Amino acid sequence: MKKIEAIIQPHKLDEVKAALIGIGVEGITISEVRGHGRQKGHTETYRGAEYTVDLLPKIKLEMFVRDSRAEEIVAVLSTAASSGKIGDGKIFVSSIEEAIRIRNGDRGDAAL
Amino acid sequence: MNAEKQKEQPLRQAFGYVLFKGLRLAITAGLAGILLFPCLGQERPKPDPSGLTTGDKTSVVDAGGASFVVAEPTDKTAPDYAQKKKDFDEFQAQAAKEPLAVKLADATGHIRIATNFAWTLNTGYLVLFMQAGFALLTCGLVRKKNAGHLMMLNFAAYVFAFLAYYAVGYAFQFGAMAVNAAPGNLGGTPTLNHFLLGSGFWGFLGGKGFFMAGPAYDAGSNVLALFEVVFMETAGYIIVGSICERISFWSFLLCELFIGAILYPVFGCWVWGGGWMSQLGNTMGLGHGYVDFAGSTVVHAVGGFCAMALSVVLGPRLGKYGPDGKPRAFPAHNLVYVVIGTFILLFGWMGFNPGSTLGATDLRISVVAINTNLAAISGSATAMLFWYWKFGKPDITMACNGMLAGLVAITAPCAFVGPTSAFIIGILAGMVVCLGVLFNDRVTKIDDPCGAISVHGFCGILGGLCLGLFADGTYGAGWNGVGAASYLGQAGRGVTGLFYGDTKQFLVQLMGAAICAGWAFGATFIVFKMVNAVRPMRVSKEVELEGLDVPEFGLEGYPEDALSVTAS
Repeated sequence: MKKIEAIIQPHKLDEVKAALIGIGVEGITISEVRGHGRQKGHTETYRGAEYTVDLLPKIKLEMFVRDSRAEEIVAVLSTAASSGKIGDGKIFVSSIEEAIRIRNGDRGDAAL
Repeated sequence: MNAEKQKEQPLRQAFGYVLFKGLRLAITAGLAGILLFPCLGQERPKPDPSGLTTGDKTSVVDAGGASFVVAEPTDKTAPDYAQKKKDFDEFQAQAAKEPLAVKLADATGHIRIATNFAWTLNTGYLVLFMQAGFALLTCGLVRKKNAGHLMMLNFAAYVFAFLAYYAVGYAFQFGAMAVNAAPGNLGGTPTLNHFLLGSGFWGFLGGKGFFMAGPAYDAGSNVLALFEVVFMETAGYIIVGSICERISFWSFLLCELFIGAILYPVFGCWVWGGGWMSQLGNTMGLGHGYVDFAGSTVVHAVGGFCAMALSVVLGPRLGKYGPDGKPRAFPAHNLVYVVIGTFILLFGWMGFNPGSTLGATDLRISVVAINTNLAAISGSATAMLFWYWKFGKPDITMACNGMLAGLVAITAPCAFVGPTSAFIIGILAGMVVCLGVLFNDRVTKIDDPCGAISVHGFCGILGGLCLGLFADGTYGAGWNGVGAASYLGQAGRGVTGLFYGDTKQFLVQLMGAAICAGWAFGATFIVFKMVNAVRPMRVSKEVELEGLDVPEFGLEGYPEDALSVTAS
């Protein structure tokens, strides 16, 4: 099993969701997060005084999938989330030891 | 925690003691006033609580304000006595011939006053609603952690300033209204006729109507009281915009009592209560005396410069200036509040300015309403474009400040200028507010979170001066008892500014505006520098960093944001 985490631009969420559902992804968890990457935000002025917006709003997606599907999902996800500009985000893939369905105790791939 | 509580206890007792003593003194003085002053006045007109006798044939006037009723001349030595007596006898004979006409005139006069009551009360309610607008505006402009505190300050300002104004403020300001400034549109309030300090053209403090009782228990006086108390409240809440995010609640209440009882009513008496500044035309030949139609200076500059003095006493918010002295931004937490608040203020201003005629029978109200709007939009446009040009993006909060700046600056001249002048005044105000905000932020380093000093203080003074520049003489013939027959050699000419040929009006405006700023800043600074020396008016450093909501009032402005354990 793999965990796919993606941090994307909030305005790309709908497109990404549609693409993932389109290839049959069944479970997604999303959260609203704030953070910065290499650019470390940008400066704005408020009533004439400068301030730095260093933690920008982003969307974090988490999916737990069978090993065989991971590559395809990553490919679809990165296409859908891309605008070609700085700040598009990142995707992380990691291995998962175990999954359990709380309702009936299913384990492994059956629980996904 | 315990040590802190123990430390607070005696201070709380001391505060309670001072409040108790002060209240007792005020009540004693008030009762003495009610009992004593009616005996001191030479004339004794009766108050009219039922409103049955306010407004009769003497209130029937032509468009120029002249009554058809001829009064009986009393001074037999006057050179024109014979002529006046003849006019009076003719009027009496005519009235005896047409009793029905006289009866009709009584009814018409009553309706005229009733129309003006309705107008003045309803515009007063609009001004009252401005309180809600200002609360939203200032709350939106500060950080989230102080939102509850800001709302409480705005709320308590209404309550406590009203208390002070009810007890003594109204009497100080309007207790001698009938001496030089009888509001004919409301029936003249003849019972408010005594100066506590000064007399005649040199009045310094009104002296009737303490606790709005006795001579002030009168239908006409109560219309005035409702309308004027909400004006006082405007000066009262303006200070919130500058002193927020760091002032403790107890000291804020003292500020409000001070404004409602002394700071606002004293200057208000000088300009609107028939006091010495309004009579400078009669005493020293300075134009129409100091003129401020709806309160650029009387209300806004008093509030703005009081706010400035308090902000100096308190010092800037923690972290507002870095170690290098560079100003830092504390961005507004809710721009929706800021914009809605500004619109509510604009809406309320349609009562503030046109209502200041104290009567719908003064048809200038439409000109006033349009002028007010024109200055609002040109002020806002100027601030938006200025910021666009200077910083690359228009700042929403400055666009709102620009609209308010235009409104503040047009408030004094709104009745005396034409539309082009109103538009120009708005542009000037838009510039002044932008430069004022940057000047305070970068040069004087007086921390003003909502721009109240620039909007109300600087633009208030600008408004007083603009009246002396742009007044075109089309309105206000006989204002403050000057030039009723003719002015500057022209019959019917009203208040006139420098650009239309009256230098003296500009001089008196310049002087009056300076006195306003000096009085509001000076009196506040002296009083609260002393208060601050006795007990610091600021909250502790820890409280300021945490946000004032919970330490001062026990609840977050947005409780759902607090990371508390609620799963139970």
